[in-house]
Amino acid sequence: MKPLFTLKDVSLYYGESQVLKNISLTIDKGKVTSIIGPSGAGKSTILRTLNRMNDRIPGFQLSGEVFFDDENLYNNGTKVHLLRQNVGMVFQKPCIFPKSIYDNVLFGVRHLYSRRKHEFSQIVEETLKAVSLWDEVKDKLNQSALELSQGQQQRLSIARALAVEPRVLLMDEPTSSLDPTSTCAIEELVGRLSGNLTIVIVTHKLDQAKKIADDVVFICEGKLIEHGRSENIFSNPSQQQTKDYLKWHLCKC
Amino acid sequence: MRRDLKEVIFFSACIITTVTAISLLFIILSAILVRGLPAINLEFLTTESKEFGQNGGILYQTMGTFILIGMAGILAFPIALGSAVYQTEYLSLSLRGTADLLVYALNAVPTIIFGLFGYMFFGVFLKLGVSWLTGSFILAIMVLPTVLVSIKEAIESIPFKYLEAGLALGLTQERLVRAVIIPQSIHGMVTGLLLGLARAAGETAAIMFTATTFSGVLLPASFREPVTSLQTHILILAQEAINPRALTNAWGAALVLVALIMLMSLGSMLIRATITHEAER
Repeated sequence: MKPLFTLKDVSLYYGESQVLKNISLTIDKGKVTSIIGPSGAGKSTILRTLNRMNDRIPGFQLSGEVFFDDENLYNNGTKVHLLRQNVGMVFQKPCIFPKSIYDNVLFGVRHLYSRRKHEFSQIVEETLKAVSLWDEVKDKLNQSALELSQGQQQRLSIARALAVEPRVLLMDEPTSSLDPTSTCAIEELVGRLSGNLTIVIVTHKLDQAKKIADDVVFICEGKLIEHGRSENIFSNPSQQQTKDYLKWHLCKC
Repeated sequence: MRRDLKEVIFFSACIITTVTAISLLFIILSAILVRGLPAINLEFLTTESKEFGQNGGILYQTMGTFILIGMAGILAFPIALGSAVYQTEYLSLSLRGTADLLVYALNAVPTIIFGLFGYMFFGVFLKLGVSWLTGSFILAIMVLPTVLVSIKEAIESIPFKYLEAGLALGLTQERLVRAVIIPQSIHGMVTGLLLGLARAAGETAAIMFTATTFSGVLLPASFREPVTSLQTHILILAQEAINPRALTNAWGAALVLVALIMLMSLGSMLIRATITHEAER
């Protein structure tokens, strides 16, 4: 099967400092790919090259090629907002707008597909059900979303991203600010959503990657060390650095 | 020992300067209050002035001030907003410093120059004459830097995560401005506008001969008629009054003007307080 994303020899700089070093990588359609590595390795940076969220950072420069299907993302012709409609993103901390729950789910949809107004309440119900939030909030859709718990807010952020109907969902340590119960809820959700949706998730929790990922990408100091099926990487890694990292949570690269 | 002495001198100097500043303000405000209060009553606030301000009230002066600054706000706000959005969202980083410098330079121009230029351009060249519209244009240019800088600060203080959340959903830059940037900074924008208008309400020199006349006008019937305003009313009454009643009326008008400006500043402070409250949640 043809990969959905293909990175060819990607190096990325912020001003003078090089964050990614000659990364070549493919990400498969319909799978959950987990990017693991120590903090500061460049995990989030790789993730953010896939929907061009690094563009606004001062001093940003990229060499190499990133393909989404057959489209070279860093070509001048790429319409970045269309790319991001296809490649949604959920951040480390839930970012909720000071609006009602209903309006938060529709935040993207309202501006992208304003003609589909009659479908709005249906979209809200479907996406909130998809993230298992519907039963908790169905009676207070018009209340401020700021009153929800962190875990509920993060699920709401996912619902908001899903409402735009992306083909890919990028998740940047989505559970790092959540309690264990909410973390489990989101891990379970990732498993349920994959298949129709391609998910790329950055995490520093190895057990989480083990639990939810089909493929695992291990990076360290901006370099790709190992990439493969989750079970292979966790049971029988081929690189010494990967072995060290899995054992000691440290790596010398 | 010597260090202690220095410390004491420095501390006392701070206290003395602070007390001086506060008491100056207090003296001015209480002078206006003491002398102006006898003039204030319902009739003074709600009737037109008679006999060149010696009798009657300041209704049309107050309205004139409102008309001038209201129109100035209507003219300045969209220009300030558009330019602030351009400077924060589109302009390349390397040019932003230059843009800031230009705005501060505009802010440093003495107001009489705005009056002179404004009258030549709007009054003479565009044939608006001595009229409230000329005055509003002049005041709009005058408050533009203040309003622009406040709006820019409001936009720059939007947490980056809101912008990212909007962009990640696939909003275009234009949609981002409408859906995130303006709604998230509206409080700061209104604050800036009020501060700018409070400044315009106190401006006298630039509108004295370009937008206002002393007496004999009520509400303008067209764009090309002048108005009377509180600030020019005070100046002329104070300059030409021999009659103590006229002088009292000048203080009364001053009190109304000060109260008006303070209300606007207070309003902007209250709005600012509500934003910090929201940001802390």
